[in-house]
Amino acid sequence: MDGPHAVGYTRTARGRVGAVARYTALGVAALLFLLPFYLIVRNGLASEADITAPSWTFFPTSIHWSNVTELFRDPSVPMARALGNSAVVSVVQTVGQVALSSMAGYGLARIPFRYANVVLGAIVATLMIPAAVTFVPTFVVVSSLGWVSTLRGLIIPGLFSGFTAFLFRQYFLSFPKELEEAARVDGLGYWGAYWRIVVPNSLGFFAAIGVITFLGAWNAFLWPLVIGQDESSWTVQVALSSFLTGQTINLHELFVAAAVAILPLLLVFVFLQRYLVQGVAESGIKG
Amino acid sequence: MNGRRLPKRHGKQRTWPAFWVFVGPFAIGLVLFTFVPIVWSAVLSFFDAHNTVTPSTFVGLDNYVDMLTNPDFLHSLLTFTVFAAFIVPTTVAIALGLALLVHRLRFAKAFFRSVFFLPAACSYVVAALIWKLSVFNGVRFGLANTVLGLFGVDQVPWLSSASPPWYWVALVTLRLWLQVGFYMILFLAGLQRIPTDLYEAAYVDGAKPGWQVFRHITFPQLRATTVAVVLLNLIAAYQAFDEFYNLMASARGYPPFARPPLVYLYFTALGSGQDFGHGSAGAVILALLIAIVTVLQAKLFGFGRRED
Amino acid sequence: MVKPSGYARRSVLRGAAGIAVAGALATACGSNTGRGSSGGDGPTIKQWYHQYGEAGVEQAVKRYAKAYPKADVQVQWTAGDYDTKLATSLLGKDGPDVFEQSVARVDQLKAKQLVDLTDVFGDAKDDFTPAVLDAQTVDGKIYGVPQAIDMQMLFYRKSWLEKAGVAVPTTLDELVAAAKKLTNKKVKGLFLGNDGGAGVLGAVPLWSIGQNYLTDDQKKVGFDAAGAAPVFATLRKLYTSGSLLLGAPADWSDPSAFTQGLTAMQWSGLWAVPVVQKALGSDFGVVAWPKGDAKGAPSVPIGAYGSTVNAKSGNVDAAKAYVKWLWIDKTDYQQDFDLSYGFHIPARKSIAAKADKLKSGAGADAVKLVQQYGKVQATPGWTATMNTAYTDALNNIIRKGSNPSAELKTAITKINKELTTLYK
Repeated sequence: MDGPHAVGYTRTARGRVGAVARYTALGVAALLFLLPFYLIVRNGLASEADITAPSWTFFPTSIHWSNVTELFRDPSVPMARALGNSAVVSVVQTVGQVALSSMAGYGLARIPFRYANVVLGAIVATLMIPAAVTFVPTFVVVSSLGWVSTLRGLIIPGLFSGFTAFLFRQYFLSFPKELEEAARVDGLGYWGAYWRIVVPNSLGFFAAIGVITFLGAWNAFLWPLVIGQDESSWTVQVALSSFLTGQTINLHELFVAAAVAILPLLLVFVFLQRYLVQGVAESGIKG
Repeated sequence: MNGRRLPKRHGKQRTWPAFWVFVGPFAIGLVLFTFVPIVWSAVLSFFDAHNTVTPSTFVGLDNYVDMLTNPDFLHSLLTFTVFAAFIVPTTVAIALGLALLVHRLRFAKAFFRSVFFLPAACSYVVAALIWKLSVFNGVRFGLANTVLGLFGVDQVPWLSSASPPWYWVALVTLRLWLQVGFYMILFLAGLQRIPTDLYEAAYVDGAKPGWQVFRHITFPQLRATTVAVVLLNLIAAYQAFDEFYNLMASARGYPPFARPPLVYLYFTALGSGQDFGHGSAGAVILALLIAIVTVLQAKLFGFGRRED
Repeated sequence: MVKPSGYARRSVLRGAAGIAVAGALATACGSNTGRGSSGGDGPTIKQWYHQYGEAGVEQAVKRYAKAYPKADVQVQWTAGDYDTKLATSLLGKDGPDVFEQSVARVDQLKAKQLVDLTDVFGDAKDDFTPAVLDAQTVDGKIYGVPQAIDMQMLFYRKSWLEKAGVAVPTTLDELVAAAKKLTNKKVKGLFLGNDGGAGVLGAVPLWSIGQNYLTDDQKKVGFDAAGAAPVFATLRKLYTSGSLLLGAPADWSDPSAFTQGLTAMQWSGLWAVPVVQKALGSDFGVVAWPKGDAKGAPSVPIGAYGSTVNAKSGNVDAAKAYVKWLWIDKTDYQQDFDLSYGFHIPARKSIAAKADKLKSGAGADAVKLVQQYGKVQATPGWTATMNTAYTDALNNIIRKGSNPSAELKTAITKINKELTTLYK
């Protein structure tokens, strides 16, 4: 991780000036990047009067933790249910997508089949067409299955990502074959070798893809908006959006809701950043 | 290729059942939720499908002709083009700049990396909420207007005004804030892969740290990363929907400007118009455009060839 | 902390007629699936409502549904973009059997989505306010039973107008002048929504000069570009004058910009009266949209949701029987629905006569405005496509400064195209 060329570079006076300039620039940029988070906290802990006051207060005159309980007690804001929906959708989608795609990736990389290349070609072809463009036709299919406003409708169409399958295939191509062959010698078939040898030795990669999938699932908006027609099937993002574009609630409650909506991902960022960074790098470069 | 030795060992065994055990569930889903929709959509695009998804009136290429001569749809493509022409280079420049600055840090490197990456935890919806209600609202308690007020400038209706189109300020800053850190991570990964001895050799040859080294070593080595970032960014811009919808739409629908293609299609097909024929034709046109751009870019920049 | 009075919960809703409803909302939705199911025997009927802003409405309609003996009625309380959700659900097989909408549109009839309900009215037909019944009528057949009437009007702060020496505006020019005079460093003169009125005003500018969306037979465009251009030019002038409030956190249907003192005048609706009353006491008045020229008249848009039966329903007869039971026969429920939750004007004259809340103060003024000037905005022939074409033109004129008559001409061309497809 250490910048190799930094060595012996900041020792000169010019280098020292450069370092000060660099830290100053980064410090200013960091403040700008953190500004929106400050606004969430400031508005979320303020009273309505503080937020709408004619002159700006840097921080609320008195802190209103009660805003949090107010949000969850507010019957017109289905926040608890939306959080539950988001949690179910994100977790199931992450687990399901990783399981299905990794198996498909493994099959494509390792199991000989005469038409494997045809299957692979079909998968790669779907990478050309971003999922967002197909939301209209996918909606048509899902609605004729009667899955509108259901968790099924929210989750299942998002389980099959050609991109993730492709990533797994690339990964398994470089997985050391010797390990599997040892398993074969022990009499394990593909199934046994996969679950007992391959998966346990690939947990880092699985975690990286899982974390990035979770991030995408939690923050997804277009599909949940299209499919979540009934309030009971809203995810957090759709709930927030409906207050943003139509209904209005108190500003302070809305900012608490925003804080609640990003909290799970902030936890991921704090505790799983290593996997997240790896996931970004994997999916970005190979994409 | 891969698995050359395995078939020998299992020469007599049929492996296709195993193949389908692994690939089958995924393939069925992909067919049902990707291929069927695409085909269905292609079919719908040749029909008059107002208020129905099982239409009976075949209209040939009429929907395509309508869409390609529809000023609103064409304007949405223009909106995207303008948006992408600005956002892609700006994102690349800022992400690369931050990556270069952060990469060389000896101290607090992880801190800065995390701070710039942190906005990626926010969804576009959350970011739009902050932007619309706190930063760029049009009244006296908005942050932007408060700051301008210090200089005696009047309240600016950021998201309401279309001339001048102040809403672009909100749309562009939002996307930059949200995605720059993500691409910075990609550039950092790219920087890490540059072999140290390249730099050492350059310094031995008398190259000065700074622009010279960047121009002749760092940037060429980052070529594949840069191409990937541009491509990802372009496709992301093409699919822009979330922040446009949340910043610009009201309970009364969406204004006829700042309307990128997906927003236009959303309201055509799934709005109260329920016009699946034209909506599908538009989706097919968009998908083709994206495919063409992807292939062209791959051809032009040799995308896919790894730097190693 | 002290919460600004009357500011507790709001939700903003809308209907095809462009009538939004807002008010204190403290319903129990969100705590469960939002469905209330009756214990009745017989077939299952799915009934959709949009989300009313007033507290108690959801419980009330579920109570009615439960009391119906001949079917198991399941109520879905639909928050968010109701029109779009309804339109989408009417496509599939999972749609509601009974739903509410403010207008029966000819394109819906063309797609065979609605059931003729003329025969459920019987003698009660004459009891309904004609204007809102007309919105549900196509070619003499009635497709919806009107429920409660909503209306829009201009609120103004009496004391501020007095202090500025401004009279209540009766013409558009006076409105522009008043807005200017009432504007100062902290307060704007007028609030027409964050888009400067492009979304909410709809047909109002046309009415104010004696024109309309469509001709009375619904088959021709009812306005001409040259004649209508000046009034839109005035709206553009207003937009750029600096006296319009723009970019407020809450939109026009929510009175908070008015009650927070961000604006001296605001376009909103009858539903806002209780909240405004609570915040400002008697320091406010209501008035119609002023006339645009000598040919025009003051304008007051009204609209009413009507109960409608989905033609794709598997239980059309049961659904019809239920609609008849609830919205024709059970006048006690209708009265409860109309008068117990916030401010509405009953669609039936016999019930309207019992509305005590509307006999004094701003409520009474509003009723008077409706009687004198009330007009339905969305009529059966005005489809979503036409409305988009027209609203786009308004947005371009008001917010972008495009040439009014050119924009209106473009809209007329698009509307004519749609008319040709509908009536070819």
